[in-house]
Amino acid sequence: MIRMRHGLMLLAPLALMLLVFFLLPVVMMLPVSFREYTPGAGLTPGVWTFENYTQIITDDYYLEVIWRTLGLGFGVTLACLLLGYPLAYFIVRGPERWRTPLILLVIFPMMLNLVVRSFGWIALLSNRGLINNLLTDLGLIATPIKLMFNLTGLMIGLTHIYLPFMVLMLVAAIRNVSRDVEAAAATLGSSRVHVFTSVTLPLSTPGILAGSILVFVLTISALVTPRMLGGPTYKVMATVIYDEYMQTLDWPSGSALAFALTAIAIGVIWASSRLTRSWAGMT
Amino acid sequence: MSATSEDHVGPGLKAAALAVIAFLQLPVIVVVLAAFSTTSYLTIPPQGLTLAWFGKVLSDPTYLSAIRMSLFLAFGSTAISLAIGVAAAYALFRKAVPGADAITSFLMAPLVLPAVVIGVAVLQYYSLIGLRGSLFGLLMAHVVITAPYVVRSALASLSGIDLATEEAARVLGATGFEAFRLVTLPQIGPGLVAGALFAFITSLDNVPVTIFLISASQTTLPVLIFTSVEMGVDPSVAAISTLLIVVTGLAMLFAERRTGFHRFI
Repeated sequence: MIRMRHGLMLLAPLALMLLVFFLLPVVMMLPVSFREYTPGAGLTPGVWTFENYTQIITDDYYLEVIWRTLGLGFGVTLACLLLGYPLAYFIVRGPERWRTPLILLVIFPMMLNLVVRSFGWIALLSNRGLINNLLTDLGLIATPIKLMFNLTGLMIGLTHIYLPFMVLMLVAAIRNVSRDVEAAAATLGSSRVHVFTSVTLPLSTPGILAGSILVFVLTISALVTPRMLGGPTYKVMATVIYDEYMQTLDWPSGSALAFALTAIAIGVIWASSRLTRSWAGMT
Repeated sequence: MSATSEDHVGPGLKAAALAVIAFLQLPVIVVVLAAFSTTSYLTIPPQGLTLAWFGKVLSDPTYLSAIRMSLFLAFGSTAISLAIGVAAAYALFRKAVPGADAITSFLMAPLVLPAVVIGVAVLQYYSLIGLRGSLFGLLMAHVVITAPYVVRSALASLSGIDLATEEAARVLGATGFEAFRLVTLPQIGPGLVAGALFAFITSLDNVPVTIFLISASQTTLPVLIFTSVEMGVDPSVAAISTLLIVVTGLAMLFAERRTGFHRFI
């Protein structure tokens, strides 16, 4: 055992650093979210209000943005599950020699700059983008179809960005499902589909849940891809926060929305860990 | 009955898996094609091949200074994160501090909070204490977002080693630091390389925190691409992106050959 004095000395640099440059900034943002903002004049001195929080749940504009953000979270999570599970299953149960190359091909886009990936989708989805050009040249469409600055663009872009996270979580989960249990079910007369639905899928549920929570939280927090593929008009919570800080300079509203987003993210993570624990208690 | 690896996967599953892999590479391929294309928008097949966009980007002082800035932040924040992150993880691993679980959660907290929230909180804080637009402030913000990755990989690697080897070195006369450096560090090395690479890429990739903290005169490469795309798509953006794709790909292959990188993700 090393002494506590040494332990504290080793821990102190990082802990103090996070205290000063992370915890303190977040805590100091709290009072700002209760201030009143007047366009042009800034913060009204001496006035404290809950207005910044109440407007989030009463104002139609904020409600639309919040439902859109949550809807995107669910949609992207579902799309990542549906696309990710077959790939993860193939990586784990498919030919051995394919395993490492496939995993590297999953990690590669994840390592690649987010801005670059979103730019790639702009080149594909914009009105003069590759997909519209191709469809026009083939004579399938006369005028470009709108694939960007709307739900379609954000769904495609965000699914692409977060799919690798889901696949890696699912690979870890499916790897933990014992081949012997699957083989036993097969020996006892289960069809291949039945083995999958009654053995493999239920046993990989923890991974499905963990991957879904991760993708959902990352999606509702995303700023870069929604900004690049959603443009200045199709907004989610993160891009509204960005605009309120950088354009309208309404920091009180922006900070209240930032805390709302944080509360949702932490709430989802907390609820899922409760759920996992109660499942673990049942078995 | 023996279950071979092939008997679970039919051709349908294989096709679906490969289609998803193709979907993952699609925007990457498109960016590379656009970088070599003579037209300012993309066509299939490309109208002509040119290296002109690369020349344009690499002679543009705005891009060059953004590249320097990004590399400075990435190397700087990774180095600082490694130093203070490994030290903290070691203290936690040796149970040398009370409340290790709570402290670990605190050290991981920057990963839980949405990056945009960290960005605006730090912006507000820096405006108040006069650090807004400073290089030091930006570097510290990058340490905040990169350090958790180093701590996580260090903790994971440490949990896999046998403490008895370090104790043996102590018994044989090594000091605490010598025992760590000569016995423990080599064992957790591969995990740390993966953690450092993750930290480096996180810093190099970051927009949602950086964009709130940069000054008018200094910008980073991803923020520069982000803002120039808002003004319209230009093949020089594709060229600089292609350079990033090549560098990322090479770094990953290097890490894979040296440490079996994919096992640490």
